[in-house]
Amino acid sequence: MSVAELKERHMAATQTLNALTHKLKQKRLLLLDTDLSGYARSQGKSPVTFGPTDLVCCRTLQGHTGKVYSLDWTSEKNRIVSASQDGRLIVWNALTSQKTHAIKLPCAWVMTCAFSPGGQSVACGGLDSVCSIFSLNSPSDKDGNLPVSRMLNGHKGYVSSCQYVPDEDTHLITASGDQTCVLWDITTGLRTSVFGGEFQSGHTGDVLSVSINGSNSRMFVSGSCDSTVRLWDTRVASRAVRTFHGHEGDVNTVRFFPDGHRFGTGSDDGTCRLFDIRTGHQLQEYSRPHGDNEVPHVTSIAFSISGRLLFAGYTNGDCYVWDTLLAKVVLDLGSLQNSHDGRISCLGLSGDGSALCTGSWDTSLKIWAFGGHRAVI
Amino acid sequence: MSLEVATVVEDAAEYSFAMEYHGPPITRELPRAVPINVDRIPVAAVVSPLAFSDNLSLPIVQPISATDIIGKKLSMDLKLSSSSAELLTVSPTSVIAFESRNNEVSEGSYSKELGLGTEISVSPSSVGNALDEREPENCHSNDVCALSGELSSDFECCHRDGGVNGTNERGYSSISPDNSCELGGVGTSEALGSLDSFEKSRDSSGSLHKSRLSSGFKESLDFNESNRTDWASNESVLSMDYLSSRVSSRKFGDGNNESGCDVRRAPVVTFCDIESDDENTNEEFTRSEPEVVRAKKEPAVKVKKGACYRCLKGNRFTEKEVCMVCDAKYCINCVLRAMGSMPEGRKCVTCIGYPIDESKRGYLGKCSRMLKRLLNDLEVRQIMKAEKLCEVNQLPPEYIYVNGRPLYHEELIMLQSCPNPPKKLKPGNYWYDKVSGLWGKEGQKPSQIISPHLNVGGPIKADASNGNTQVYINGREITKVELRMLKLAGVQCAGNPHFWVNDDGSYQEEGQKNTKGYIWGKAGTKLLCAVLSLPVPSKSSHPCGEQVTSMISRSMPDYLEQRAIQKLLLIGYSGSGTSTIFKQAKILYKDIPFSEDEREQIKLVIQSHVYSYIGILLEGRERFEEESLNDLRQNQCSDGSALAGHVDCNGEKTLYSICPRLKAFSDWLLKIMASGTLEAIFPAASREYAPLVEELWSNPAFQATYKRRSELETLPSVASYFLERAVEILKPDYKPSDVDILYAEHVTSSNGLSCVDFSFPESAYDDDADSGDLHDSLLRFQLIRLQAKGFGENCKWLEMFEDVRIVIFCVSLSDYDQFAIDGDGNAVNKMLLSKKFFENMVTHPTFDQMDFLLILNKFDMFEQKIEQVPLSQCDWFDDFHPVVSRNRPNNANHPTLGQLGFHYIAVKFKRLYAALTGRKLYVSLVKAMEPNSVDAALKYAREILNWDEDRPNFSLSEYSIYSTEASSFSH
Repeated sequence: MSVAELKERHMAATQTLNALTHKLKQKRLLLLDTDLSGYARSQGKSPVTFGPTDLVCCRTLQGHTGKVYSLDWTSEKNRIVSASQDGRLIVWNALTSQKTHAIKLPCAWVMTCAFSPGGQSVACGGLDSVCSIFSLNSPSDKDGNLPVSRMLNGHKGYVSSCQYVPDEDTHLITASGDQTCVLWDITTGLRTSVFGGEFQSGHTGDVLSVSINGSNSRMFVSGSCDSTVRLWDTRVASRAVRTFHGHEGDVNTVRFFPDGHRFGTGSDDGTCRLFDIRTGHQLQEYSRPHGDNEVPHVTSIAFSISGRLLFAGYTNGDCYVWDTLLAKVVLDLGSLQNSHDGRISCLGLSGDGSALCTGSWDTSLKIWAFGGHRAVI
Repeated sequence: MSLEVATVVEDAAEYSFAMEYHGPPITRELPRAVPINVDRIPVAAVVSPLAFSDNLSLPIVQPISATDIIGKKLSMDLKLSSSSAELLTVSPTSVIAFESRNNEVSEGSYSKELGLGTEISVSPSSVGNALDEREPENCHSNDVCALSGELSSDFECCHRDGGVNGTNERGYSSISPDNSCELGGVGTSEALGSLDSFEKSRDSSGSLHKSRLSSGFKESLDFNESNRTDWASNESVLSMDYLSSRVSSRKFGDGNNESGCDVRRAPVVTFCDIESDDENTNEEFTRSEPEVVRAKKEPAVKVKKGACYRCLKGNRFTEKEVCMVCDAKYCINCVLRAMGSMPEGRKCVTCIGYPIDESKRGYLGKCSRMLKRLLNDLEVRQIMKAEKLCEVNQLPPEYIYVNGRPLYHEELIMLQSCPNPPKKLKPGNYWYDKVSGLWGKEGQKPSQIISPHLNVGGPIKADASNGNTQVYINGREITKVELRMLKLAGVQCAGNPHFWVNDDGSYQEEGQKNTKGYIWGKAGTKLLCAVLSLPVPSKSSHPCGEQVTSMISRSMPDYLEQRAIQKLLLIGYSGSGTSTIFKQAKILYKDIPFSEDEREQIKLVIQSHVYSYIGILLEGRERFEEESLNDLRQNQCSDGSALAGHVDCNGEKTLYSICPRLKAFSDWLLKIMASGTLEAIFPAASREYAPLVEELWSNPAFQATYKRRSELETLPSVASYFLERAVEILKPDYKPSDVDILYAEHVTSSNGLSCVDFSFPESAYDDDADSGDLHDSLLRFQLIRLQAKGFGENCKWLEMFEDVRIVIFCVSLSDYDQFAIDGDGNAVNKMLLSKKFFENMVTHPTFDQMDFLLILNKFDMFEQKIEQVPLSQCDWFDDFHPVVSRNRPNNANHPTLGQLGFHYIAVKFKRLYAALTGRKLYVSLVKAMEPNSVDAALKYAREILNWDEDRPNFSLSEYSIYSTEASSFSH
């Protein structure tokens, strides 16, 4: 077979593929005959109401000198770990707003951080392509820095996101710019499984975010620059369980719904979406019309403990609270008193759901608490 | 409300001093005490009442409501005394406000003040009281007016004594603090017994004063009202005095302890003869600080002494934490709310960002028991660290005078980061002998020998240490005690000589060349110095001449590091030589470019590389062998079939054949390489196979292959460098040299990002034209190298680099005829790929308005290549038509083809950049293997940053080296 012939066949195959992809897209759109809000409205549901003091900023955590990129709560105690561009991880006591640890990182370009379920260690990753684990109990060295207790080496691109497997201090899933996700065994420091990659049906762009199912920790989803979200089973690394299309831009953030049957996504196309993992369908799109061409990207999302509220941070500094059922913005944290000055880069809800923490490029973190006896949080 | 007030006053019987007044009958009616203007009390904004009624369990901090404050405050204040003046006195630091108002009041209603015996005039009267025990005629007190009858005569008295006051100003300020602390002692014994806090002492001074008045009016007749100017000069002293003594007294010291503290502090205060020295500083000292304080103090002003400034509860016995800025004190319940997360240490939330009170500098980073109780160990440590290291809390340079000139910021940094810095640097006047490194406070003998030759402050003055011995050291008249030391050390001091003392202690008489001896040479001298409390040079400062260089390599204080660092981002398409430049920078600017561990790691990498090179050669050898065999056979065939049989059985020997043992090794190595596990196996196996490699290397077949290495495309060009020394490299005890590392591929962290902090060494910098300012040598740079591979096209991570100062984009010149596989699987010219990447970077929103320095790398290879391969191999360069003179080799002045090519490419990139951004691109030519070339490029980057800082002064085009030559091209 000559080279010219091969090229011809390659061209033909590419064309077929494109045609099929397009057809698939059309079919999908056809099947999307209803969405959540339409149904809820027909059932006579009314949106959640928010008074001016229902969600107030009650703490401002100051101490970072660079943009805050990521934060994570412990599951039970009220502690937060935050990662910033000043090259530090800070562990905060959210109640007193005191710092308990300030960890100077070997590589300042950190993109993600996570608290272990037991609250004994924190993990972080960034442009150095390494996921570093710090044990909070280990003694600091002579300069007062906490030593790295474990380096998870193996990614060939930056580590964009990491999350501990719930209730397991020894396992961690990372997402990376090398288009793969990896499940790690922290005790050995080795990769247990690699999801995606060259020869597998994985992402075709940088993976930006992972989220592990809270009720079934074998399942996790990953969002990627290829504008898809993939659902994985940690026991079957070879191929994704399901691929979710729909977004028209990089998927920056994914987060499982509290019941574990759905997940939310946030993307560069300015929308958040809710997908169902059982049907594989999109349930709802959350977007506001933007007149000008500059659509603010969604940077981070979080669900309230009931799932009724979806918090979404945007690049323009807005932070909307969506009613997930009716797809209505019920509150904009960016418009409240003493809100952030810069882009909101990360969001997180405390373990008991009573408080929301936001991190911003204005170098501070803020804790918002629900007031009164709210029925819906 | 006033009714309530009155009853409160009546109830406050426990404060006995309110009844103790025995003075002359009061001529006027007592003014009613309703001084609080409710509107002027700042309170937290009240959450709208609507919200309150709806939602009772709001999780917000309960605001302090106005009614609360007023109620509490009134009752508390009035319990103490009903005087209106009382309210003015509470804040001890707001001296200016207090004084001025005090004066106003006192002019009008002297009798009232005195009659009530409140501590309206605490600060001045405490001083005055103390002073009047010693020098009544010098003392100043506004309580003069005590005797209302004699008011006029007193004023006369004051005016008459004005002159005396003026002349004694200086003595005054130095005496007063000591006396006031004495007063504390007196107060304890005389009035109230145990004295736990200074507030108390102020109270007692009030009562003391009162009792004194009752006993001795005569004395108070001698008091004289000080004039206004006198006040001004005292203000600073007083305020400083107050703050520090209050802090010290917070520690529950008894009278003794307190005076001890005060004595320790005394030099600071007496030291303030800046006032007499320099009017400008006086201004700064007296004004700037209280102003801040006053502005901040407002909310706290009307709090009862000893009470918490927030909850207004507690008394002077409750333990409290003090704000480092405004001196507000908070009890254990309020401190966390008032101070928040303490990002700059113990400061009220409103005070964050303000400089601390200088008198509290000593307490920086020293934790109180209360905080330890309140927070856990780690939290406390973090706060204390932040307090000590955060930038706002650092010593303000303009408060430090060296040889009569305030320091600049850089000078202070230099002073603090020198190998032997002055200990316990506080605001004040110092003298510094640059030659010998002697350091002391103005008007005093030397206290320390610091690093010499620091370029700080002005020239030393002859009277710097206020000596009167007529013996001079480096132009400074020395003190008596120094002279005594010199005599005892055996230095001839007859005839009032002028000495020239170096930092190593060698001294010579001025105008003479020969060193007469070493002052600190004898062991006895050091002992002597210790006895006379004179400094001796510390060991570290001793003699080696490397001080200057060691100064730079010394690690900077933490807070400086953050500010001074300037980030340079080094990017380029893979294979453009960024890693070589990065390694070169490491070797150039680091004392230890690679640690032992790193070298060990690199060694393994290099060794496995060498094996892979050998593997490639062996593969080539097989090919060559086959080819030559084929040739041989063909030759034989053509020669004639008769000989064929003979050759076959002769065992196919050619130039490229090797013996079976080596053949086995070769097969094995090739098998491993094919399976791709070379890296895993080789580091461990290298010991075993080293002898074999030696044998292989000396094998003629292998050498023959090596000679034909240019035919093997997969063999990288650097391979020959290592292969020539293969035997040596593969020895287990091989240590890679810097050059080896420079040549080695893939030794910098293979994926992602690596960075190195450096500063340009001073020695090298001195060669430059403008070596004037030392400032630059302190600038720290961080070279960040990013590998384009492994980073997606979206480049989201670039947002993290918006704080870099300049982007250094690296392009390999010799890439113009190379091809690489792009994302779609097509072979694309590498130069075009570089160009595309360059376009992406330049137009990236993060790098908007960023300066770009284009490094055109691998010029050495380019020069060779362009002679053989025309530049037009690359589509982008198809219009390159150099004008080449025929006698080129003979003419040294004429640019070579390589140089022409370089200029042409530079202009191409400049045009592209200008089209994309409308700005100027800086271009530098680099041969990454040559240290000087890389050094020059990075210095060029630094120059660009410098121009950036004073951009208005330059028209940049003149400084862009190649822009003029560019115009000489024709295309």
